[in-house]
Amino acid sequence: MGPLLVLWLAVFLSGTWAVDRGNFKTCDQSAFCKRQRALKPGQSPYRALLETLELTNTKLTLQLINDNNKVRLLLELYRLQGNMTRVKINELKPLKPRFEVPDVLINDPPTEPLSLLSQDENGVVLSLGADSQWLIVSAKPFRLDIMEGREVLLSLNSRGLLAFEHLRIRKDTISYKIKNKVYSAWENIKWVFSRLPKSSQVDPEGAEKKEETDAANEPAEGEVCVCVCTAKEDGMWEETFKSHTDNKPNGPSSISLDFSLPGVEHVYGIPEHADSLKLKTTDGGDPYRLFNLDVFQYELFNPMALYGAIPVMLSHSAQRTMGIFWLNAAETWVDISSNTAGKTVFGQMLDYVQGSSETPQTDVRWISESGIIDVFIMLGPTPTDVFSQYASLTGTQAFPPLSALAYHQCRWNYNDQEDVAAVDQGFDEHDIPYDFIWLDIEHTDGKRYFTWDPHKFPQPKDMLQGLVDKRRKMVTIVDPHIKVDSSYKIHNEIRSKGFYVKNKDGGDYEGWCWPGNSGYPDFTNPEMRAWWASMFAYDQYEGSMENMYTWNDMNEPSVFNGPEVTMHKDALHGNWENRDLHNLYGLYVQMATAEGLIERSGGVERPFVLTRAFFAGSQRYGAVWTGDNTAEWEHLKISIPMCLSLGLVGVSFCGADVGGFFKSPSTELLVRWYQTGAYQPFFRAHAHLDTPRREPWLFGPENTALIREAVRQRYALLPYWYQLFYHAHHSGQPVMRPLWVEYPQDTATFSMDDQFLLGEDLLVHPVTEEGGRGVTAYLPGKGEATALFCVLQVWFDVHTFQKHNGAQNLYIPVTISSIPVFQRGGSIIPRKARVRRSSSCMEHDPYTLFVALSPKRFAQGELYIDDGHTFNFDKQKQFIHRRLSFANKALSSRNLAPGSQFITPSWIEKIVILGASKPSKATLKTPDGKENLLEFEFDASMSVLTLRKPGVNAGVDWTVVLQ
Amino acid sequence: MFTNCSLGHCHIIVAVVLWSICVDSRKIRGISLSYKRFYRERKSFLCIDGSKMIPFDQVNDDYCDCMDGSDEPGTAACPTGRFYCTNLGYRSHYIPSSRVNDGICDCCDASDEYRSQTPCQNTCRNLGQRERAEVEGQTRVLGERLRLKQLLIEEGVLTWREKQAQLRDLQRVSDDLQTQLDDLRKEEARRKEEADALREREIGARETADNSPTSHYRPESPISVFKELDSNRDGSITVDEVQAKLSPVQDEEHALSEDEAVALLGGAHRVDLSRFEETLWTSLRTGDSVTIKGRRGVPGSLADEDPNIKAAVSAAEKASADLKRVEDAYETVYMEIRDLREKLSIDYGSEREFLFLHDQCFQLKVYEYIYELCPFSQVTQKSASGEVVSLGKWGSWAGPPENPYCQMRYESGEPCWQGPTRNTMVMLICGTETALRSVKEPSKCQYVMELQTPVSCQPALRQRGVHSEL
Repeated sequence: MGPLLVLWLAVFLSGTWAVDRGNFKTCDQSAFCKRQRALKPGQSPYRALLETLELTNTKLTLQLINDNNKVRLLLELYRLQGNMTRVKINELKPLKPRFEVPDVLINDPPTEPLSLLSQDENGVVLSLGADSQWLIVSAKPFRLDIMEGREVLLSLNSRGLLAFEHLRIRKDTISYKIKNKVYSAWENIKWVFSRLPKSSQVDPEGAEKKEETDAANEPAEGEVCVCVCTAKEDGMWEETFKSHTDNKPNGPSSISLDFSLPGVEHVYGIPEHADSLKLKTTDGGDPYRLFNLDVFQYELFNPMALYGAIPVMLSHSAQRTMGIFWLNAAETWVDISSNTAGKTVFGQMLDYVQGSSETPQTDVRWISESGIIDVFIMLGPTPTDVFSQYASLTGTQAFPPLSALAYHQCRWNYNDQEDVAAVDQGFDEHDIPYDFIWLDIEHTDGKRYFTWDPHKFPQPKDMLQGLVDKRRKMVTIVDPHIKVDSSYKIHNEIRSKGFYVKNKDGGDYEGWCWPGNSGYPDFTNPEMRAWWASMFAYDQYEGSMENMYTWNDMNEPSVFNGPEVTMHKDALHGNWENRDLHNLYGLYVQMATAEGLIERSGGVERPFVLTRAFFAGSQRYGAVWTGDNTAEWEHLKISIPMCLSLGLVGVSFCGADVGGFFKSPSTELLVRWYQTGAYQPFFRAHAHLDTPRREPWLFGPENTALIREAVRQRYALLPYWYQLFYHAHHSGQPVMRPLWVEYPQDTATFSMDDQFLLGEDLLVHPVTEEGGRGVTAYLPGKGEATALFCVLQVWFDVHTFQKHNGAQNLYIPVTISSIPVFQRGGSIIPRKARVRRSSSCMEHDPYTLFVALSPKRFAQGELYIDDGHTFNFDKQKQFIHRRLSFANKALSSRNLAPGSQFITPSWIEKIVILGASKPSKATLKTPDGKENLLEFEFDASMSVLTLRKPGVNAGVDWTVVLQ
Repeated sequence: MFTNCSLGHCHIIVAVVLWSICVDSRKIRGISLSYKRFYRERKSFLCIDGSKMIPFDQVNDDYCDCMDGSDEPGTAACPTGRFYCTNLGYRSHYIPSSRVNDGICDCCDASDEYRSQTPCQNTCRNLGQRERAEVEGQTRVLGERLRLKQLLIEEGVLTWREKQAQLRDLQRVSDDLQTQLDDLRKEEARRKEEADALREREIGARETADNSPTSHYRPESPISVFKELDSNRDGSITVDEVQAKLSPVQDEEHALSEDEAVALLGGAHRVDLSRFEETLWTSLRTGDSVTIKGRRGVPGSLADEDPNIKAAVSAAEKASADLKRVEDAYETVYMEIRDLREKLSIDYGSEREFLFLHDQCFQLKVYEYIYELCPFSQVTQKSASGEVVSLGKWGSWAGPPENPYCQMRYESGEPCWQGPTRNTMVMLICGTETALRSVKEPSKCQYVMELQTPVSCQPALRQRGVHSEL
């Protein structure tokens, strides 16, 4: 009774202010998920037909056969450059083409030749290159194993859960049944005989066959009924959820594959879920779901789908980091289980491997509704390698304009121009910097995007000019639902060009959203995207200016009266159903919008576009935020693992609504959220229409000062943020990282949700507990075994400069003003100490360098500078990228990019060396041969040496020698 | 957002700064005249907070040495520093150091952007001229407004006195009525007793003469009739008894049906004396539907025949009516006193200058809505369809402690969907006419209005704007 009551209470209480779970499907309510999940691990019916093997320079192909139904599949194996393997499985001869995801890979991934090491009737062994890596294809049952030396890194179909629902003619109609009765009976007999020895086995093909043949034995009258009912029950040809019926003219088409990861206990990624960083096992619950949905008041700590989907999972152990990229844009479910069950390793080369049955193992199973199996296995072995590998497939984070990394002030809604001016003024009066003010949907003329409310925003250019004068910017919202209104230009053009998504009957698909009845442009159509992009031209988007950027919301897409508040799966995007590409829609919206912002500037300016829905590859187009969160402490906490998860799979530019979107935060929560948000990549305050105002100065002078300080810390650190984003753009390394990324062998870091790193050098442990009096931060760094000498890592409190040893849990007493942040000993971080009204105002300001010495008196860092807003850094190599290093009592700046060129007026204002000893003198040497003595101050209590005004230009070589 | 009240334009009085020409060999940028003494050129400079001594050539050298920022008054180097805009010809003021050379013109004399790309014009002369003209105009207007304010204050004083007098009068009337009430209550009680006593006596007489046919004219009381109808003397009258003893007025031969009898008993089958008085007795007294068999006339009316009783009863009734009238009057007066006291207990400002707003309402149309403010009472919003929504009832003054009378709070209006109740903040601003100037809804269901009135004009503000450094 006890647990039941608790459960009942939990359900009851959670219903009062949370998501209406009934609006969204569980696996059981999603027919293909239910069918697939009913399959249990066992021997796979799939067999590799080794005689069909073909090996070319770029790939290996091989046919697979399902011994139950004789349907053949085509397996393609690729060895990709950069230590990756691609596995593609499609039907050998599908009735019609199956969907393959376009526009996500940045190119056709370059391959490397596979070489055949051995082959016999049981399988083949292929070499994956020099690192003694092998790929073993076993024939019966079909299975793939990737080995390194004696270790199995990963196995596919080791649990026999490969299931490929082939496209078929509908068989539950009367005419078909009668025609095929005799055939079916014969098949039945064959089937019974072939199955007898393994009667415990079931797979969807077999199950279907069984139903058919059972039905065939029934008298003719009953037969049709039985079959139709069965078809309805298993939802192969039609399924109904709430009042919505999904017609499936193509019938069942789902796919599934399992992966085993021996030695792995920690898996991460597959955002977006409001859950812990380390993914949980899904036994006994629903799988993690990937299906872009507008979830009203989402709940925390469950596997429900949210606004975006990135089907990439990372596995990590102290030995190795790997990734699985399941390139499929249909509704997808991911089951995770963990066991130590012995793995059956086989083949003549593997005999000696057996015996390590105690190894922990994680098993993962992916299920998608349609499309093909197209998996990229990123073999690492380090986290950095996996990030590079994934970046080589889907591209890197868009390099945002510098100002987009500053503070954003948003609210649903700033009511009118006067309101905007007053809020702008408020920031100046209270001396709080901000760069962007945002306008939500109410700024439009009746939710017609690209227009302005004529009463509230009669002179948008005057308003924007007012912001230009303050060197600030604006974002307006442009959602992808278009009001069906014959007096609305955008609607008329889309309709006349035939650019709307179509319903199953071929008419324009319509649904309800903010404007009422709306059409949904087909963003999967490149012509449509080109047209959409052209709408951002200054002469098309009336009232727009250079300092106005864009926000794409509701792009899952949200359809208020659609199934699960989204588009009907049988809606048509050209020849494809929404079912096939649902999770791609949001990516395309942001892609087209970003392209529009680039085009309007003639290709000069970097765009800034925020999106709510996303997919693999979305990182190339801008920022994402975690959607409509709530002003509660738990939501503040979850912002950390949610953004960390996104960072691991390419999306570095992530943030949560500061303050919480729904409900009104307590003052303490608001302050703590500013403090946390100031150290997360996308830093924007936002609030629901129904909540009271919460601009930073509305909570008394003390709280205004606390928020001001948090925002100022952000602005001072912008050079470092910018540098981190340059790296994210350049090499795909996440900006905000879990600790294990930098300390991959420190198991203590593997499941941390309350602290994170920015780059490698800053460790942040924000206070996220109500009434928090102290936090316990874990400072990593045992002194890795790779070094000859084992020296402990040290960390410096960035506020007090106090030094702490690594590899410890450090209790830090906190007050309401505390934001615990530590700089790694051995790093150099550039800051700009002159915090001004906006980041643009700080453009030419001098730098202060914070040099945190390692115990060996060494430190290294970088300085990256460019114009902050154009593509010239890329196209014309106009940037400065310097290596700053401290060694042998000398700090020097050297050019890291000899081919680059950029002139900055910024100079080095101050150098603060933490963990220093007192020199007798400090000499600055510049390339012209001059030597200047620098004044300095030394704080012996904290061992802080401050060098006064080197004054040297930030873009040139220099050295400071301490004696 | 609402803690500081804008006091309108009236405070903008130009400061005529007596600016002595700087004769120093080196001009220290960004300091006011009064701070000049700290920056006399010597070998070294002592931070103004006394914390540190630095060489004088490190003053304004674009590096922050002093904790208090005093060594860099003319650059952006110090996070806590401030820069003095001299703004000759206009108002001088400080800006944070972070606004020096940030590409935005802050000082009208362009002195803050001496090293930025932004070309700033010296606009102080124009600004000063415009402001002086404005101020002159406003000074004239302010005089007029203050005169109006004085009138309104006086009006308020009169109203206050009037109301006080009214209250006193009402109090007096109330006291009188109280006295009357006491008398009348006694009188009524006495009259009633008399009448009852007479009746009792009559009944007694009737009972003794019960068998006498001559008792036809004796007055009948409900008790006697009850006893007459209660044939079995069980203390209640039943349907049977009614059917047996009563008949319709028009047709004495006709017997009453059971339903009719029940109806006469007020829907009951059996009534006691008190229920009888409420039901059947009333019917008998009116005498137009039923009567006691073999009896002519109306039972109750028999009493009218006795002049003594009649007089006593009517005297009692009169006393009762008098009492009722005075009671009503007392109630009315009492309510009026309460209302008046309530009104008088409101804080109308230090000089009761806002009293005149009482009993007035102000309207403003914004888009499709008409907003109405009735000061010290309520705020409403009327939509085009005529629906009226309360945006709050008078709550309190809500200005900052130094100027509480610049904001009014109206609270507990109609609740919002899924939210709190509507409320309105009314900002009072100085103006010639008393009128509603603007209505806004910065947050959902939280309204902000501007009410302009001469009463909010402050003569003391003339002194504001004069440079505080001098």
